[in-house]
Amino acid sequence: MSTVLLPGPAPTARQLILNGIFAENPVFRLALSLCPAVAVTTTVANGLLLGVAVLLVQVLSSVTVTLVRGFIHPRVRIPVYTIIIAVWVSAIDMTLAAFTPALYAQVGLYVKLIVAFAIIISRLEVFASRQPLVPSFFDGLGMGLGFLFALVVIGAMRELLGAGSLAGIPLAPGKPLLFFALPAGGFFSIALLMALFNWVERRTTGKSSAGGAGGTHGV
Amino acid sequence: MSAALRPLPKLGPAEILRIVASMTVACLAGAAMLGAVFMATDRYRAAAALRGERAAIRDMLALDSTATLVEVKQFLAPERRQVVYRAAPLGAEGAPGHEVTFTLDGRPAGERDVAGGTPLAAGLVPLGRMFVAKRAGVPAGFVVEGESRGFKKRIRMFVALRPDFSIADMRVIEHEEDPGLGAEVATPWFRGQFVDRSADEVAKLDVTKDPMPEDWRAALLAMAKRSPGGSARHAALLPRERAKPIYAVTGATISSRAVTDGVRATVDHFRRRWALLEPHLGGLR
Repeated sequence: MSTVLLPGPAPTARQLILNGIFAENPVFRLALSLCPAVAVTTTVANGLLLGVAVLLVQVLSSVTVTLVRGFIHPRVRIPVYTIIIAVWVSAIDMTLAAFTPALYAQVGLYVKLIVAFAIIISRLEVFASRQPLVPSFFDGLGMGLGFLFALVVIGAMRELLGAGSLAGIPLAPGKPLLFFALPAGGFFSIALLMALFNWVERRTTGKSSAGGAGGTHGV
Repeated sequence: MSAALRPLPKLGPAEILRIVASMTVACLAGAAMLGAVFMATDRYRAAAALRGERAAIRDMLALDSTATLVEVKQFLAPERRQVVYRAAPLGAEGAPGHEVTFTLDGRPAGERDVAGGTPLAAGLVPLGRMFVAKRAGVPAGFVVEGESRGFKKRIRMFVALRPDFSIADMRVIEHEEDPGLGAEVATPWFRGQFVDRSADEVAKLDVTKDPMPEDWRAALLAMAKRSPGGSARHAALLPRERAKPIYAVTGATISSRAVTDGVRATVDHFRRRWALLEPHLGGLR
């Protein structure tokens, strides 16, 4: 993990959220949790549901770890983080199964896999276990929003190109580029969007030299 | 992170105890939270499952809103050596129902109306469920729950029958077969092979490892996708295929045979049960 936390004045909530969405976007910049990012993003709705689930798990786990870290024995902190994540994931899994059965039937399998998402446990280890409650909350929120943003954008691109629709609304007849709905198309979509992300960032930072908020590295 | 490579100091017994206590408390707290969430959400999940079941039944029998559904639950009363059937409108909690009891060799042993919400007698073992669709007082179709032993675990299925006991549709509703192999038996094209076979044909139904003819596969896929003309293509090939066995999924003969055996047994059992039950349930609203 190459994330380095800046010593000195604590970052503000706005910086932390923007950091998660842009400078350290989990998918486009940190390249973490790419497997689910490919697997579920065939449509906007799927990406949105998994993104919201990850957002909730990330925020709740970050807050929980900050609150209980004083009681966690340092030797077993990783197993305890995993338990915390697993509890929140199972709670959200049961809630989704109860209230959104149709969507759950499609992405339920991936919701359970959130337990093993690298992005969540890495934020707990590098941020929530060392920072106070409020920054941890906003870091979790930022990272969750960043993941949600990435999944929705990838889902929109693949649904538009692969199925000719957007959020379930048909826009083009037939299937324009079915390739993008298939797994290989997922990798290509992510690569193209990552390139766009880098290009935009280079343009903006080249002009304004503002290095984002806390983003101190490439991957 | 090079510091992590330095060996950690040895642990004393007190330290080990603290680690164990820390993990135990974390696990207990997590388990307590999950229990609370389960208790809060389970009835909503059950309600959603019931709604899904009703939608599946209406879909399988192509029912409109003029048809009503009656759920018949079958129980075994081991110490009395009797089989109990309890019928009630599907999904209407607290609606009055009707209970019919038979001895194990099929002689009637009493029947009674039961008020809504009457608890079951103690010691009844659930045997299965069936759903009777009624329109204007006569059966418009049946959906029977059946199960068989799959490659790993039991496979549960719904078999939808027309009033003449020919197969209207079939769904695998629960299974744990291998993805890509046995799990194929739950796909629409596989279950399409059963559709429109008569009860007598189903009673002799077997499984073959022969390759499926391409035109039949294409017709089943078209019907599964509900593409226009799919049912017509299926109907056109049916006279040729109905005398033939079910084509097994490649690499999943056991799963295919399990589903076929399950459908055959479900239809067979249901015909015999219905012959017993029909005179007693005829008056049910």
